[in-house]
Amino acid sequence: MSRVTNLKISRAHLTSRVKQTMVAILSVTFGISMYIFMNGFMTGVNDTQTELAFSTLAHIHIYNDLPEDNTNLLQKKYGEDKLVNLRNAKVIQYTEGIKNSAKIIAAIEDHPAITGITPQVNVNVFFRNGATKLNGVLSGIDVKQESALFGTEDYITHGSWKSLEDRGDGVVLGAGLAEKLSLTLDDNVTVITADGVSRNFKVIGIIKTTIGGVDNTKGYVRISSARQLISKNQGYVTDIQVNIKNFNEAAKVADQLTPKVDYKVETWNESNGQLQAGNDLRNIIAVAVSLTILLVAGFGIFNIMNMTVNEKIKEIAILKAMGFDGTDIIQIFLVQSVIIGVIGGIVGIIFGYLVSFVVSYIPFRVATLDTLPMVYDPQDYILAFIFGLITTFVAGYLPAKKAANVDPVEIIRG
Amino acid sequence: MKEEIALSARAISKYFHEPETFQVLKDISFDVKKGEFLSMIGKSGSGKSTLLYLLSTMDTDYTGEITINGECLTGRTQNQLAAFRNAHIGFVFQFHYLLPEFTALDNVMLPALKLGKKSQEEIREDAYSNLKMLGLEAQAMKQSNKLSGGQQQRVAIARALINQPAVIMGDEPTGNLDSKNTDIVFDIFRQLAAERGQTIIAVTHDDEFAQKSDRILELGDGRLLN
Ligand SMILES: Nc1ncnc2c1ncn2[C@@H]1O[C@H](COP(=O)(O)OP(=O)(O)OP(=O)(O)O)[C@@H](O)[C@H]1O
Ligand SMILES: [Mg+2]
Repeated sequence: MSRVTNLKISRAHLTSRVKQTMVAILSVTFGISMYIFMNGFMTGVNDTQTELAFSTLAHIHIYNDLPEDNTNLLQKKYGEDKLVNLRNAKVIQYTEGIKNSAKIIAAIEDHPAITGITPQVNVNVFFRNGATKLNGVLSGIDVKQESALFGTEDYITHGSWKSLEDRGDGVVLGAGLAEKLSLTLDDNVTVITADGVSRNFKVIGIIKTTIGGVDNTKGYVRISSARQLISKNQGYVTDIQVNIKNFNEAAKVADQLTPKVDYKVETWNESNGQLQAGNDLRNIIAVAVSLTILLVAGFGIFNIMNMTVNEKIKEIAILKAMGFDGTDIIQIFLVQSVIIGVIGGIVGIIFGYLVSFVVSYIPFRVATLDTLPMVYDPQDYILAFIFGLITTFVAGYLPAKKAANVDPVEIIRG
Repeated sequence: MKEEIALSARAISKYFHEPETFQVLKDISFDVKKGEFLSMIGKSGSGKSTLLYLLSTMDTDYTGEITINGECLTGRTQNQLAAFRNAHIGFVFQFHYLLPEFTALDNVMLPALKLGKKSQEEIREDAYSNLKMLGLEAQAMKQSNKLSGGQQQRVAIARALINQPAVIMGDEPTGNLDSKNTDIVFDIFRQLAAERGQTIIAVTHDDEFAQKSDRILELGDGRLLN
C-alpha cells in the first residue's frame, strides 16, 4: 500500500511540472536514438566495407610461407655471441606453392564452420598486346568454386564467366587491365611468365570488381591452364582460399586448421589489418559519441531531479514527519527518473528506428552502394535501452539520496 | 486504577553549536498521562518548539530519555522512528504543510495509506469523517493549495488524527485560526482526550486556550518553570 502511495506522489510530482519532465524525457530520447542510429550506421559502413573486401579476399588463406629472412642463415646457427660474415648470399631452389592440395582440402573440408574452399594457382606474369606490356597476376581458378566464394560471376560486365570452364585458352580480364591493353571481347592477349614462357589467350570476359588493384592487374584462367603455363603437376596450387560461416570467427577456425595443415594459415584480418582497424575505430567512435550524448542526458536529468528535490523540500520534510522513511523518499524520486528513462527509452527506440530508416534512403552512389548503409541490430536497440535506464537511474539516484537525507526539523523550523 | 503514562521525558538537555554553543534545553523531566490535554507555554525563544521536535522523535540530537507508550525511543534508528511516528504520533505544524498537488481528502489519507492497516475505502471514509468533524466536508475534493490558510491548517489537523495516534502534538496548531475555529479545534482536542484517551501536547501563545486545557507546562530560558 505504501508503495502505491509513493507512486501516486511520484506521479503528482511528474505531472505538476510537465515542461521539465518533457525536457528530461526528450534528452533521454535524443541520447538513445543517437545511440541506435550511430551504431546502425557504423555497423552498416563496416559491413559494406568488409563485404567489398570479401569480393576478392577469402576469410582464411592457406599458402606456402617462404622463410622470411634469408640474409644470414649462419648467424642463427652460431648464435648472437659469434660474428658471422657472409658475402653475396644467394637463395637456392626451395619448394614453392603447395604440391598436395587435394590432401589438404580433404583434411579440412569437413570442418563444420567452412562454407567453401577453392584452390588457386596465382602467377606473376606480363600481359602483352602488341607493344603494350603490363605487369599483372594470372589467377588459375576453379570456375565454379571461385564464384561460389567470391561471387566473381556477378562482377562480369562483358562476356561470360562460365565459358572459362569450356575453354582452356580463355581468359577473363580485369576491366582496367583490358582497357590499358586496348583489349575487348574475343581479342587475343599474350601472357609471359617470369621464366620466359609465353602463351596466347582469348579474352572471353571482362570483370569489374570494386577493388581497383584487382581490376587493373588481374586475369583469370582455368586452373589447369595456369599449371600448364608454369609446368606444374596436377595437384599443385599456390593458394587455398577458405570461407567460413562467420568471418568474425576466422581466428578461431584458423587455429583449429593449423595443426591439420603444414602450411601457413592466415586470417583475413591478419593479412588486412587496416580493415579490422577501420572497423574497430568506427565502432569506438559510434559508442563514444552515443555514450557522451547519454551522459549529457544524464546530467540533464540529474539537474532536473535536483531542482525537483529543492522545490519539494518542504513536502519531503512533512512526509518524513508523518512517518515516511528514507526508503520511501528514495522510491518517490527514483521512480520519477526511472519513468523518465523508460518513456524516453521507448520513444528513443522508435525515433532511433525512424531516423535510421530515413537515413538509409539518402542516396549515396559509391562503389556498389545506392544509398547510405544501415544495419538494424536488435542488440543495439536493447543495449541503448539498458544504457538509457542505467543513466537515468544513476542520475536520479543522487538527488533521491539527497532527498532521503533531508532533516525534517531543519525545514519545518523554517 | 493507576493512571497510565503516555509520554515521559527524563533529564532532557540539548545544545545548539551554531553560531556558538549554547544550551537550549536544560535538564527537563516531566510525564504526561494518557488522555491528558497539555499546553506548553513560554516566551518566544524559550525552547518550546525545540522540545516538541525532540518529543516527536524527529530530532534525535539530545541527551536524556524519551518514552512514549512505554517504548523507549532514545537511540533508535531513523527508519524505526519513522515507523513509530507514523503509527503513534500525530503532528500539527506552526505552518501548515500539505502536498499542494493533492486534494484535502488525499492529504488526510496519506499517513493511513503509509501505515497500510486498513483498506483504501475505509481510509477514505475515516478521512472524510475527520474533515467533516473540522467543518471541511465541502472542501474535501479541493486541491489543497486552493484552500485558505485556516482551512489548510484544519486539513493538517485532520491528517494528524487519521491514524488515531496515541499522542497528538501541535506547534501552535491554532496559530492561523480565528476564534471560532480555534474553539472548534479546542473542542476536538478535548473530545479526543476524553473519549478516545488520546494525549494532546500543544504549544500555544493563546493564554485562554492554555487555561482551558488540563495542565500547563511553562518553559523559561530552557527550563521547566512549574
Ligand atoms: N537550528 C538552530 N540553531 C541554533 N539556534 C537555534 C536553532 N533553532 C532554534 N534556535 C534557538 O533556540 C532557542 C529556542 O528556539 P525555539 O524555536 O524552540 O523557541 P520557541 O520557544 O518555539 O519560540 P517561538 O515561541 O517564537 O516559536 C531560540 O533562542 C532560537 O534562537
Ligand atoms: Mg516555536
